[in-house]
Amino acid sequence: METKIDEKLIQIEIFDPPMCCPSGLCGPNIDPALLDINEAILKLKKEFDGKVIVERYLLSQQGPKFMQQPEVMSRLQKYGVEILPLTLVDGKVVKEKSYPTFDELLNLLSKSNIA
Amino acid sequence: MNNTKYIFFSGKGGVGKTTMACATAIHYANEGKKTLIVTTDPASNLADVFETEIGHKITPLLNNLWGMEIDPDKATEEYRERILSPMRAVMPESVMTVLEEQFNSPCTTEIASFDRFVDFMVAEKEGKGEKYDVVIFDTAPTGHTIRLLELPVDWSKHIEESAKGSGNTCIGPVASIQENKAKYDEATRLLGDAEKTTFIFVLQPEEISIYETKRSSMELKEIGIQNIELIINGILPEEVCEHPFFKNRFEMQQKYIKTIEAEFPGKTLRKIYQRDGEIKGVERLLNIEKDLFNNSEKQNYTLEDGEFTKAEFNKFMPDSIEEIIRPNGKTKSIFFTGKGGVGKTVISVISAFKFAKEGYKTLLLTTDPASHIGEVLEQNVTDKIQKIEGVENLWSVIVDQEKATEEYKQRIIEESKSKYSEDMIIAIKEELESPCTEEMAAFDKFMSYVESDDYDFVVFDTAPTGHTLRLLELPFDYSDQVSLMVTTNVKSQKAKSITQKRFDRIIAKMKDPNQSIFAFVVYPESTPVIEAYRAMLDLKDAGIQTQFVVANQVLEPEYCTNEFFIKRRKMQEKYLNEIKEKFQLPVTVMPLLESEIKGMEMIQKASELLFNNKVIV
Repeated sequence: METKIDEKLIQIEIFDPPMCCPSGLCGPNIDPALLDINEAILKLKKEFDGKVIVERYLLSQQGPKFMQQPEVMSRLQKYGVEILPLTLVDGKVVKEKSYPTFDELLNLLSKSNIA
Repeated sequence: MNNTKYIFFSGKGGVGKTTMACATAIHYANEGKKTLIVTTDPASNLADVFETEIGHKITPLLNNLWGMEIDPDKATEEYRERILSPMRAVMPESVMTVLEEQFNSPCTTEIASFDRFVDFMVAEKEGKGEKYDVVIFDTAPTGHTIRLLELPVDWSKHIEESAKGSGNTCIGPVASIQENKAKYDEATRLLGDAEKTTFIFVLQPEEISIYETKRSSMELKEIGIQNIELIINGILPEEVCEHPFFKNRFEMQQKYIKTIEAEFPGKTLRKIYQRDGEIKGVERLLNIEKDLFNNSEKQNYTLEDGEFTKAEFNKFMPDSIEEIIRPNGKTKSIFFTGKGGVGKTVISVISAFKFAKEGYKTLLLTTDPASHIGEVLEQNVTDKIQKIEGVENLWSVIVDQEKATEEYKQRIIEESKSKYSEDMIIAIKEELESPCTEEMAAFDKFMSYVESDDYDFVVFDTAPTGHTLRLLELPFDYSDQVSLMVTTNVKSQKAKSITQKRFDRIIAKMKDPNQSIFAFVVYPESTPVIEAYRAMLDLKDAGIQTQFVVANQVLEPEYCTNEFFIKRRKMQEKYLNEIKEKFQLPVTVMPLLESEIKGMEMIQKASELLFNNKVIV
């Protein structure tokens, strides 16, 4: 059965808390949460090739991205870095303070009618 | 218009790099060329030699001559401000504080210093800053310099690889750092251009210095540096070596000079005599400059100064350090540090030997990338712990950055294999290729020896001061970093808590004077003493107490029979007393021996001299 291909590209953005590198591999300890989110993103990119864009932004390297996103800035100003990581789908905050799991990401996509 | 000429001075610690670099700088400045001398040694002595403040800014020194000491902390600050300043206006204070802290990571510090260094090489092309005719780099002792020169190559490669993969590196997303790559490639190209870059090795006529020069020149070849010259420094003038003690040293040196000539055929080679006093200040540098550039038949070995010629010697009573060092039931660590070339390795070997002989299970290890404990022991020492032949209870190992990195990568990949997908393993492998990993891995290895309790006694032969201080500060920096870690789930909370406890344990151990001993090795001369004193204060700030000082290569009065050595001995006495006063610590003495300390017989002899206090000098 063929479903109609949705032309809309879904954009997931993750605004990371302050850290050295997004892989979690360059610090004095390896943060398993970072490896997990990396794995989830890779899986998602593979399964929904061409339908989803996932971007991650690092506060220490890509500050402007944080400043350009009002949703993110207002939360940062109100709650400080504790609020990070923030996950946005098409510009709307869908999760704060922790990374989404693969299932949660899947769920978010299904709401957007991809999955 | 001439192209800028780049001249690098390198070599083992204490061979006279800074002196030769300064004399060369003065030479070109006097010829009317705009000259800049830059030091990349975090424990620089440039300011001491010019007897003025320099620091992390281009400072006018003489007519046509400017100087700068790259300070890793300041370089990091600049690097950080470049990135953070646009954010200050909008980000809340608390966010900025966390971000600032974050830039203390050792990887950032390394990138920042090295970025600053590359800037000096490519500034001309980018048209920024002052245009110099000659830029002279006075570098840190060999091991660290090789690393610095390899970095442009390594980073360029990493940026290229990441562009094909995730598009991320730990200095930023590849899209925004393409200009860095261009800069690194340009620096690499300039280094390999024999018309523009000269690499001068300074060495002393002794086996270890020759060995290190040979090894480094091979590594430089791999980076593409071809234009190499040599300066043999510290040669004893034959006329002053009438005493059998110095006659032997003279002959040993002559033998090694022949070796150098044979080992480096066709290279420009210049020879400089040891002076009867210290080279400080412009006048005395000109004395060296003449011998370096005038091709004079008759070389100098005296400085115009009769300050120390009165013949009466003072007695100096060395303090005993045996009880301070002796193991006490728990694992006791001792860190020997100090300026390059003061004899840290030899003193470390002697101390490890002494207590191993007494029956304490002892590990001797070095964190110096240009380590030569193996040459002193006359045995092959590797990155695997192994028993030293001929002494009971003694084991030895090198913290080798490359090997540690390989091990670290493998461990992480192994651990990940069972937990993650193949795509993820590929991504992890790519991330691990970052030059930052090397910093991390070597430090991790070092820490594992600090926390080990498999031995009664662990002797750390460390890299020269600047780099050692950075290494010793890492547990503190990392501990701060860990506390900043935003834990996003239970698993990461657990990881954070385990790491935090580990660092707390290590820091507590380093601060406990019963478990960790910090000692400085110096020559009784101005620069090693100044450098050690500064470092002692730095350690104190971190809560670490220094416990004693070893004054090495002290001349014994009995063979100081002519004016040349009387002056040198008098100079040493002045500094022995100064050390005692300044440091307010036990000061012990290791006399100069008539040959190099190598092999078990010499080690045994040296250990008796250092510990039994038979010497009254």
